[in-house]
Amino acid sequence: MSYYISVLQFFVLNSLLGLSVYLVLSTGQLTLGNAGFMSIGAYTAALLSTKLAMPFWVTVPAGALAAAVVAIPLGAACLRLSGVYLAVATLGFSESIRVLWNGMQSIGGPMGISGIPSIPGAIAKAIRSIENRPEWLNPKTTSDVAMLLLFLAFLGLILFFLKRQEKGRVGRAFAAIRANEIAAGAMGIDPTYYKVLAFVQGALIAGLAGALSAHLNFAIAPAEFGFARAIEMLSFVVIGGTGLPLGPILGSGVMAFLSEALREATSLRFILLGLLMMAMMAIRPQGLLKRRVGA
Amino acid sequence: MLLQQLLNGIVQGGTYALVALGYTLVFGVLEIINLAHGELFTAGALIGFFLVGLGLPLPLAILGAMMGAALLGAVLELTALRLVRRKGAGNLAPLISTIGLGLVLQNLYILVAGADPRSFRAGIGDSVLQLGPIRVTTVQIIVLGVSLLLMAILQFTLTKTRLGRAVRAVSENPETAALLGVNVNAVIMATVMLAGALGGAAGVLVGLSFVSVSPIMGAAYGLKGLSVIILGGLGNVTGAVGGGLLIGIVEALTVYFGGTFGSIYREAIAFAFLFVILVVRPQGLFGQPYAAGKRS
Repeated sequence: MSYYISVLQFFVLNSLLGLSVYLVLSTGQLTLGNAGFMSIGAYTAALLSTKLAMPFWVTVPAGALAAAVVAIPLGAACLRLSGVYLAVATLGFSESIRVLWNGMQSIGGPMGISGIPSIPGAIAKAIRSIENRPEWLNPKTTSDVAMLLLFLAFLGLILFFLKRQEKGRVGRAFAAIRANEIAAGAMGIDPTYYKVLAFVQGALIAGLAGALSAHLNFAIAPAEFGFARAIEMLSFVVIGGTGLPLGPILGSGVMAFLSEALREATSLRFILLGLLMMAMMAIRPQGLLKRRVGA
Repeated sequence: MLLQQLLNGIVQGGTYALVALGYTLVFGVLEIINLAHGELFTAGALIGFFLVGLGLPLPLAILGAMMGAALLGAVLELTALRLVRRKGAGNLAPLISTIGLGLVLQNLYILVAGADPRSFRAGIGDSVLQLGPIRVTTVQIIVLGVSLLLMAILQFTLTKTRLGRAVRAVSENPETAALLGVNVNAVIMATVMLAGALGGAAGVLVGLSFVSVSPIMGAAYGLKGLSVIILGGLGNVTGAVGGGLLIGIVEALTVYFGGTFGSIYREAIAFAFLFVILVVRPQGLFGQPYAAGKRS
């Protein structure tokens, strides 16, 4: 039971990561830097809670904000680039951050940070302290479900926000820039402003996911935030569909299902995953879900 | 020893340049980044290791590795590139499909060869050539010599042969090249195989210089090659060679001047360097500014 809840938790976390890439893609830009923003969120949350004993409701927003704050100057500098150049520049940023964590011995170096207070752990402790608690109130399961609900709440909030944003001025500007940046500029839309906006929003979501993952797993290490993570996030969006927010969610769902179905055979799983990615691009390059024109 | 570090940097940079040439050739004709290139490199290293294990002399093993990696390049073109190209799906799709093929290949290697790194000696002694204050090992001579030889052959092929002219024509404009009677698909196939051969040779050389091969060695070198071509300018042969040597030397000097700090942050400094270049000069050190009339 608890195992399947944890699969669902990772599915929601991955959906958040997929959405963070989706947002940047919705202005037509490809970023591979969100693993770096995720690590900034995770490290900020982990350091605030382990060194300064801050509560969750401070550390999680702080992690998300820290990533967004770093993204502002970075976005302003990087978004002069586009296409492959932007992808590699953001990847370069992300790898530099990872090497930085790796080298800083004061925060654990390659071992990372462990002993991060976990949210489910805190809930379970609270439940255990209830006197005469009813039989059905199992601390482990209840706290896992509570964490899952928290993740879902964040996902719901972000989806709601994205839906609203897409209908409004900002969403239309994103779509216009994605369709044709020069034409959008000629229509009076400031492409740089909106591209940086999308980039920072993406970083915020990636930072949030990082902070949440730190408080889920007790421990974080720099190796989690490497190239593989960046590719994984991108694959959620590409497999699910790059045109609408449900795409990355479906993509991470498909990947979670495949990973579970092939849990026993690690190498075989990646081989099938790779074949799936290739087949997908050959048969349906726009992703599983496609936005209907005019919808 | 500054001179010694410079030499080490140049030898290292030579292998970076070989890897980068593979990326840059494919980018030149297709305008896509082949993210499975690191796995072609690994294929070369593993085949070289296998052939040396069979008792073949090193030059033959390198040739065999190049041929094997070139064949894998052909597989890459037929599966991850051509199928996606037919759909006309923008430049994100080939990026993903090459990542997919990379995943498949890397895990096939793990299934076949096991995940652990293996020691790769190839019967080369530890003899050292003393040139004044500089010590040059036999491996370094082989690595640098083969790198330079391959670069010279590539340069000759691109500038003096019919195939090279066709490759350059397709890089310039595939539609016009096709109209003028160039078989574009054949040129792309040849280019991808050439890129594979260079990557495969680089794999053997890197295996030799680190005395070890492993199924996951391509990941780090793939990333490095990527930074080299961005630094030197995409699709630019001079840029790949210049960028490779430059990154090799910058890394060596970082270690030399930076001490412990330098060796911990070596990778970060290479990336930071790249990052600054990109922001200041997006077309790369050797690239032309975004050409107005070229393919959009």
